[in-house]
Amino acid sequence: MMSTMPHLPSHPTARSSSSLRPPLADLHHHLGLLVRLVGAQVRSQLQYRVSFTMDVVSSFLMFGFEFGALAALFVRFETLGGWTLGEVAFMGGLTAVSFKTMDMLFSGFDPPAFGEHVRKGTFDAILLRPAPLTLQVLGSRFVLMRVGAIAEGVAVFALALWLVDVHWTAAKLTFLPLVVIGQLAFFAALFVIGSTVTFWTVDSIEAMNILTYGGHELNQYPAHIYPLGLRRFFTYVVPTLFLAYYPTLYLLDKPDPTGMPSWVRFIGPVIGLGAFAGATAIWHIGIRHYRSTGT
Amino acid sequence: MLLYAIARQSFRRHLTYRAAAAAGLLTNFFFGIVRVAVLTALYDGRPEAAGITLPAAITFTALSQAVIGPLAAFSWFDVMRSVHSGEIAGDLLRPIGYLTYWLAHDFGRALTQFLLRGVPMLIGYVLLFPWIAPADTHFVWPQGGAMWTATGVCAVLAWLISFGWRFLSNLSAFWSPDARGIIRFVFSLSWFASGFLFPLRYFPDWLQQLCALTPFAYTVNAITEVYLGLQRGGDVVRLLAIQAAWAVALLAAGALVLRAGVRRLVILGG
Amino acid sequence: MTHHPSAAEAPRTGPLVERPPLAPLIDVRDLAKHFAMRRRPLVRAVDGVTFRVAPGELVGYLGPNGAGKSTTLKMLTGLLVPTSGHVTVAGRIPWRERRAHVATIGAVFGQRTSLWWDLPVIESFDLLRYIYRIPAERYRANLDTFRDLLDLDAFLQTPVRSLSLGQRMRADFAAAMLHDPTVLFLDEPTIGLDVVAKERVRRFIRHLNAERGTTVLLTTHDLADVERLCHRVLIIDGGRLLYDGNLAELQRRFGGRRELVVDLAEDVTDIGGDGSASRLDDPRFAVSGADVIARDGPRITYAFDRDETTAADLIARVTQRLRVVDLALKEPDIETTVRRIYEERLLDGA
Repeated sequence: MMSTMPHLPSHPTARSSSSLRPPLADLHHHLGLLVRLVGAQVRSQLQYRVSFTMDVVSSFLMFGFEFGALAALFVRFETLGGWTLGEVAFMGGLTAVSFKTMDMLFSGFDPPAFGEHVRKGTFDAILLRPAPLTLQVLGSRFVLMRVGAIAEGVAVFALALWLVDVHWTAAKLTFLPLVVIGQLAFFAALFVIGSTVTFWTVDSIEAMNILTYGGHELNQYPAHIYPLGLRRFFTYVVPTLFLAYYPTLYLLDKPDPTGMPSWVRFIGPVIGLGAFAGATAIWHIGIRHYRSTGT
Repeated sequence: MLLYAIARQSFRRHLTYRAAAAAGLLTNFFFGIVRVAVLTALYDGRPEAAGITLPAAITFTALSQAVIGPLAAFSWFDVMRSVHSGEIAGDLLRPIGYLTYWLAHDFGRALTQFLLRGVPMLIGYVLLFPWIAPADTHFVWPQGGAMWTATGVCAVLAWLISFGWRFLSNLSAFWSPDARGIIRFVFSLSWFASGFLFPLRYFPDWLQQLCALTPFAYTVNAITEVYLGLQRGGDVVRLLAIQAAWAVALLAAGALVLRAGVRRLVILGG
Repeated sequence: MTHHPSAAEAPRTGPLVERPPLAPLIDVRDLAKHFAMRRRPLVRAVDGVTFRVAPGELVGYLGPNGAGKSTTLKMLTGLLVPTSGHVTVAGRIPWRERRAHVATIGAVFGQRTSLWWDLPVIESFDLLRYIYRIPAERYRANLDTFRDLLDLDAFLQTPVRSLSLGQRMRADFAAAMLHDPTVLFLDEPTIGLDVVAKERVRRFIRHLNAERGTTVLLTTHDLADVERLCHRVLIIDGGRLLYDGNLAELQRRFGGRRELVVDLAEDVTDIGGDGSASRLDDPRFAVSGADVIARDGPRITYAFDRDETTAADLIARVTQRLRVVDLALKEPDIETTVRRIYEERLLDGA
């Protein structure tokens, strides 16, 4: 049947132990992998040029239409909870840019998509490759057409800057990108947690949808218009309102009708990054659970 | 009779997707609550705006949420899929016209959605009304049997129009493998112009007139106007007539475009 | 316990890649995986399995559904953490040293692909080249070889989602071997494939083992896979290893009765006319050395023991007595053989 002296492949191939390589080279390799994974996705999406363009335009317009409808209302109603159109646009644009950028960067952790992976068993392929798991998941999906929505958010924010006379200071300018990062990190955390939950069950996706997409919707309007119960929940249970509303009060020098201490206007980025750290821990717990119990 | 059978089969099949139909109900409801808060804040104590009182506006929110399912407000790609997958070849061999088939099928679907999503949504709003609306106000109901009938007719016509433009936009599948993007675009346009986000009455006059040029304005917005009694007497009849006209026009256009599309399919060999 | 005579395990000299040539490549000792489920008794998917695989072997891992094959394979590939016991592959604990372990193995799971769904096959390969850090020369050489052996050119540019099952399997095989793994784990690699595709896959596996010395462990439900490929067979049922050895030996010792299905020239009606045309002990069909176990009109099924009668003798005897139009010989399938082994509690065969 076969030779009595089985021979091992003698040619050198993948060097196995990663501890033999300097850690910086490792990082370079990992980033390179992420770039290639995302690049491959982008290439395959750009193949359908017409569809892609229409999708981008659609995303741009979708948010634009929604905002446009609200803006049209301001002609008649003039203010929303005491805020002008410009002020609402300021917060809305900021929120949209943060959320849609997160949505694009973390497409791999979109809970329904990730849940499909786990259900079909293709997540195992990720475990069978010698590359970091989180990185592979990040690179597994990249919805490029979101750039349309991101552009719309930028447009709305630009409109806001034109309508509102913001008293910019060095502190505010430094704080602004932190607000974006904080919100991005927070909703990314919700994505990651939502995905991790699919290791256990697909049933809770709706609850996560409410926290994620519902939370995003909440951040588009000044929080003092919401009923007290809703406001309390999204302040103390899921601290969504610290990510956009309170920072905006600071940036636009507006009074706070909710009666919170003034320092809460600055904790948004901290909450966002903290949530992200927590989500990462939960993610690793989820992986460990998956590897002890299988599908 | 065949039409009825198709509708009934579609109805039954969609009923089995109970879980999927119920999914997202809570999410929709949440978004509705946010919209109610926005409307309340906009009103800022005003008794009415553009002829709509705040309780009526909140009732509108309930209506707009209830029609999401039946009017397939967010997406509908069934015909596109049938064309792209080649299933259409078999569908065209049926003893019933392709458009007629989908019409009956969509009616069954819409009915299921109304029962599984629409009615629970309305009930939810009715029950929660005391908490989300100003004190001493009530959920608005159509005034009198005539208005109820008119609303019913209006709703059916709205569904017909919705089917009409959905079917038409799906037919782009015959000409492009990228139909998905085109269809999505049309849908996003519909949210704005249909009065789904806010009643068109609130918009500036010029914007209202612009929307009235599209069939979208005669779907959700028409139902809102008739249900809330914003149109009366002769105006209601006029509105229903315009709806009917749009429905006929869209279905006729659908039939024509379908014929062109099938011709193209046959020539190109599918 | 019958087991393939392999060399004694050589002492390890440290965490180096180099190791003495005759040490077992796969070393499994009292491996167990238990699943605790709510409101159900403990599921012992794998319950104390021990075996060793030397480099270059081609081993079949058989068992009925739910026997524990996939679970064992998942533990060997590092997908699943064992409940207890010892498992090493090339000296590494699979689940503990995931990345290092996974870089030296290849795996093909029959039911799902390891390639990227939306990307053309060649792009998946290219990504794998980068991930496994395959030297360019090696990658090109392997790719050329596999393109030839597996006939990949027809669909190299096609996205994986558009491939047929057979094409996808071939692509998965190539993908699994691009980085020259020392061990290849296959989970039901021929499931769902047509006969031609199955043969192609088997030929490829044989090539890998013979020409490249790749150690192969394949789980399968299909006896033909094993018959065509494996010299050594492990049989698992109920989480326990029932047999570890030679396939021919297995059938000879534990294979049950063979069957001869015979179609008679005309439909035979019952003489007595009492409607019992399917009586098995009708003397017209009795033949020595075999029992009639089924009768369906003109079709009669005989069962016989290979130790008592040869197929040739039985056919001769039957055709002498009866006018036979057609006949077929049926071997006991692996399910039946395994059931027999289990029922007769042959845990430690001589």
